[in-house]
Amino acid sequence: MRFATRTFLWSFVPLAVLLMASFWTTQTLVVSAVRDGIRTSMRQTHRSIARSQSKSELQYGRFLKVVAESAALKAGVELMLAEPQSSDARLTVEDQLKEICRSLGFYFLLISNPEGDALAGIMRVGEELVAIDPANMRPPQKGFLPMEERTYQLISAAMNQGDERIGTLIVGEPFDFSQFSMPTVLTKRDAVLESTVPGIVIPEVESGLRGCPADGECEVQLRGETFLSLPMRNLSLGDGYLIRSLQSVDSASGPVQAILLNVFLVAAAGALLGAVVLGALSSRSVVQPIAAVVSHLRASERTGVLPEFHANHSTIREIRELTDSFNRAADSIRAGRVGLEQAYVECVEALASALDARDRYTAGHSRRVSAYACSIAEAMNFTVKDLDEIRVGALLHDIGKIGIPDGVLQKPGRLTHEEMTLIQQHPTIGRRILEGVNGFQSYLPTVELHHENWDGTGYPRGLRGEAVPLAPRIVHVVDAYDAMTSDRPYRPGMSHAEAIRVLEKNAGTQFDAEIVRIFLGLNSIGEIRHIQADVLEQEVRSVHHLAEAVKNTGAYAPSMESIKS
Amino acid sequence: MFRILLICWGILACAQAGDIEGTVVIKRKLTKRTVTASANSYQRGARVDLASDPEQDPLAFERSRVVVYLEGALPSQPVTATLEQKNRRFLPEVLVVPAGSTVSFPNLDEIFHNVFSLSKPKIFDLGNYPKDQTRTVTLDKPGVVFVHCHLHPNMVAAIVVSPNQWAAKADGSGRFTLAGVPTGSYTITAWHKTAGFVRQKVQVEENGRASVQFLLPTDEHGNLLAVAQR
Repeated sequence: MRFATRTFLWSFVPLAVLLMASFWTTQTLVVSAVRDGIRTSMRQTHRSIARSQSKSELQYGRFLKVVAESAALKAGVELMLAEPQSSDARLTVEDQLKEICRSLGFYFLLISNPEGDALAGIMRVGEELVAIDPANMRPPQKGFLPMEERTYQLISAAMNQGDERIGTLIVGEPFDFSQFSMPTVLTKRDAVLESTVPGIVIPEVESGLRGCPADGECEVQLRGETFLSLPMRNLSLGDGYLIRSLQSVDSASGPVQAILLNVFLVAAAGALLGAVVLGALSSRSVVQPIAAVVSHLRASERTGVLPEFHANHSTIREIRELTDSFNRAADSIRAGRVGLEQAYVECVEALASALDARDRYTAGHSRRVSAYACSIAEAMNFTVKDLDEIRVGALLHDIGKIGIPDGVLQKPGRLTHEEMTLIQQHPTIGRRILEGVNGFQSYLPTVELHHENWDGTGYPRGLRGEAVPLAPRIVHVVDAYDAMTSDRPYRPGMSHAEAIRVLEKNAGTQFDAEIVRIFLGLNSIGEIRHIQADVLEQEVRSVHHLAEAVKNTGAYAPSMESIKS
Repeated sequence: MFRILLICWGILACAQAGDIEGTVVIKRKLTKRTVTASANSYQRGARVDLASDPEQDPLAFERSRVVVYLEGALPSQPVTATLEQKNRRFLPEVLVVPAGSTVSFPNLDEIFHNVFSLSKPKIFDLGNYPKDQTRTVTLDKPGVVFVHCHLHPNMVAAIVVSPNQWAAKADGSGRFTLAGVPTGSYTITAWHKTAGFVRQKVQVEENGRASVQFLLPTDEHGNLLAVAQR
């Protein structure tokens, strides 16, 4: 994950969570406030409805009492009671009821006997007044009566003749839901009889209301919309009837919620933008120095050099510390590398010195060969790296002689064929010794091939001409020169002129002619020849030096202690 | 003995008789008639059933409800009359019969009716009875007998029991004739339910034609002189 992404996420995610939480909280508060408002207004409406309803019920009751006191109607009822089987008697009462309905504008009139069984009834159907079949009908004295797709709200008045109850006059008015300004349902126990909830059929309302307490407030889900349902408790309808009014919470809180949503969307968009900008700005100040450090490290990985890091001074303390410590680390690595190179050079020199020191005749040989080879390389304008390679390669060229017994090496007189073969193995042995040492790979050709001749008669491989690299060819010439000019147990050293003659004679066959030419043109041969026998002392100093260097690295300190003692 | 005397007098009278012709003049409506339709009927746009026939002249309606008869113990010829109960109404609404007549009340409606009267000349209650049944009442005393139905308070009829056989209802134009009235001086009475009794003296000449005019109501100022007595 990029730092910018992380900064963005760290700044945006908490902000988003905070926004969402506050949105949720505000929404909940708004909805509950809206719900409270709805509840209060519904209760008020219920109270006013109940008040007007009870008032009208009282007036209606009085009015009905007067109707029930009609002597003619009483006479009709008495007639019916006297002649229960007569259909004419029923017709007479129905006729009377029709007359009353017509003159008083009733919709539904019914007379029941004192036992509660219907005697005769009239109902308005359209413009017509039609008789109701009273058979097996026991209308309630109060409440509701569903008849012919209509629900009548019933009010009744007793009909008395003197002290005797002769019947009950029941008047029904079609229950008028339009008096309720809100969606209303009429229920009897669990069944919904009528509903004015717009667009929702009665069975749906019924299943929605199923979970509601018998006469308690509840919330109803209808077609995904939340309704608050409040029973009109103070409207006594009797007989298990209950009127509930419903008010949509969603449609009341919807506009507010929409505004809220818009506000929060704008806020969220602002937060997103802010987080992006903030994240980009804050990450830039951190990422840029880090990217510079990284590109530095990449470059040094490629080149192997660890240069000083010059960052433009960051204002951030941590970044400054990072660049400073990078620089300190780079310094210490550079210092360590210089020390290591030093120790390595000294180690190589010590190896060469140790080899030379086996025999006073060869004392200083490796150093001189190295010095001659370097002089040639300088004359040939070698690069610093190649110069270093040839210098060290030349120092180590005879390292394989470690594996040759002293008796063979220092034997005065002619060597036998076997001894000669043994001697000729020293380049191969040298190569094998150095092969395992990390960092000595570039010297291997010099060590292995410094006895190959230009015409392919050398050993160990018999390579020819330029198949042998330049460094071993150089070392071959100067090794021969130094061997010839040095004293040996079986002969004294040749003079410079004699040696040169031998070289010139063999140039083109044994030696590379070009290198011989350059060697002969050198002025420094004389000086180099004087690197002489005070070498032993010098060697001891070198070993001490080496020990000191190794000790400084710390790793082998205890063993070095033991070496010293 | 009395009866024989009466008959003799009657024959005598017949021999010496004249007619009374008259008119009833009514210049304004006397009966307050109501619109029976309820306010609700208006709202629903139903046809309103008025109690009066709009084609009938309201004054002719009033005139045809005036009964004229002679006072006095003159010979009476009892008759049998019928007062139907039809469409929740008594028909005719005004009936005139001489004393001693029998009136039958057939119920021609599908529903029960009841006929009763609480008027002084005859108090009776025929009870409730259904369609196609009839009950009868004999009215002996002269006077106005109002007949009601217990079950239908809107039903009312007036039976004018005249003391003798000279009694008549005016026609729509207000004319009436009492024929074959023995000569002599009489009190002639006109009765209207609202206007009450109005009396006049009349002289009947032999073979003459006495002319009578009743102005109802008689008062010049338009006040009703008498309230209907029951």
